[in-house]
Amino acid sequence: MASIGDIALVTQVAVFHNKQAFDQLVRKYQSPVRRFFLNQTLGDEQLSDDLAQETFIKAYVNITKFRGMSSFSTWLMRIAYNVFYDQVRSKHQTDDIEDSTAAMRQTASTGDSNMKMDIHAAMALLKPDERTCITLQLIDGYPIDEISKITGIAENTVKSHLKRGKDKMANYLRENGYGG
Amino acid sequence: MDMEDKNDILLKQLFEQAAQQQIEDNGFTERVMMNLPEVKESRVRCYTRLWTMFCVVIAILIFWLISGWDMIEGMMTGGKHMLINTIEVFMLTAPTTEIEINPWTVVLLLGFVLVFLPYQTFRKLSATL
Repeated sequence: MASIGDIALVTQVAVFHNKQAFDQLVRKYQSPVRRFFLNQTLGDEQLSDDLAQETFIKAYVNITKFRGMSSFSTWLMRIAYNVFYDQVRSKHQTDDIEDSTAAMRQTASTGDSNMKMDIHAAMALLKPDERTCITLQLIDGYPIDEISKITGIAENTVKSHLKRGKDKMANYLRENGYGG
Repeated sequence: MDMEDKNDILLKQLFEQAAQQQIEDNGFTERVMMNLPEVKESRVRCYTRLWTMFCVVIAILIFWLISGWDMIEGMMTGGKHMLINTIEVFMLTAPTTEIEINPWTVVLLLGFVLVFLPYQTFRKLSATL
């Protein structure tokens, strides 16, 4: 359920068009939303910030549709997920992401030992849905039922994506010297 | 310990740092706030303007249809005559007429002066302060 503080802020935005209240919501949730996009785009900061901005604008425009049945962060991440997949569906953005995937693979193969780069390189091996489920669980700490709500994917399918994604990533990371 | 558990442990260790990462705002919120659309407010303003225009057009039409200007002119003339007549009657009869004063009217007038007017003044003052 949504926290009372978030509900109070959302009410002020929805009823009184209080931009100060929305400012507080953006400040509170900018980090997880931008981190989500950063992981989905494999570290493309510019694209991540553009998508995060679009997410908050969509949240503002549709704020009256928030019913408080789930937490505000889950509702916001659901919008973020839709924004990301709208971008993925468009040909141009798909090319961008494929380019960055290739760039990450190239970076990893040139022996960059930075752990963050290795994680991104490992994530580049995953399918978009697998990557989303993995990052929502391992980085944002959402349980499986919340991941299901955010992505609109059935819980059993989320479990399958997590299993397959973790296997792929672990194998890649072991091959690159992690985990003994 | 099976392979699935080993994978979980390895990934949890690697993602631990990433999970704690907090992204600094660095002007992001300001950029979002600057780009927020005025969808609802502008729509409300647009409807208000349209409604006002509609009312003005209807009022002009009614005024024209019922010859409003003639009516106003008639009312002004009639009102002027009535006022002059009333003053004349009052001036002629006032010295000889006993005026009955209803005590409830006095109470209402006093109530208005002593309660309502100070309340309104106080309300306006508190709104401005």
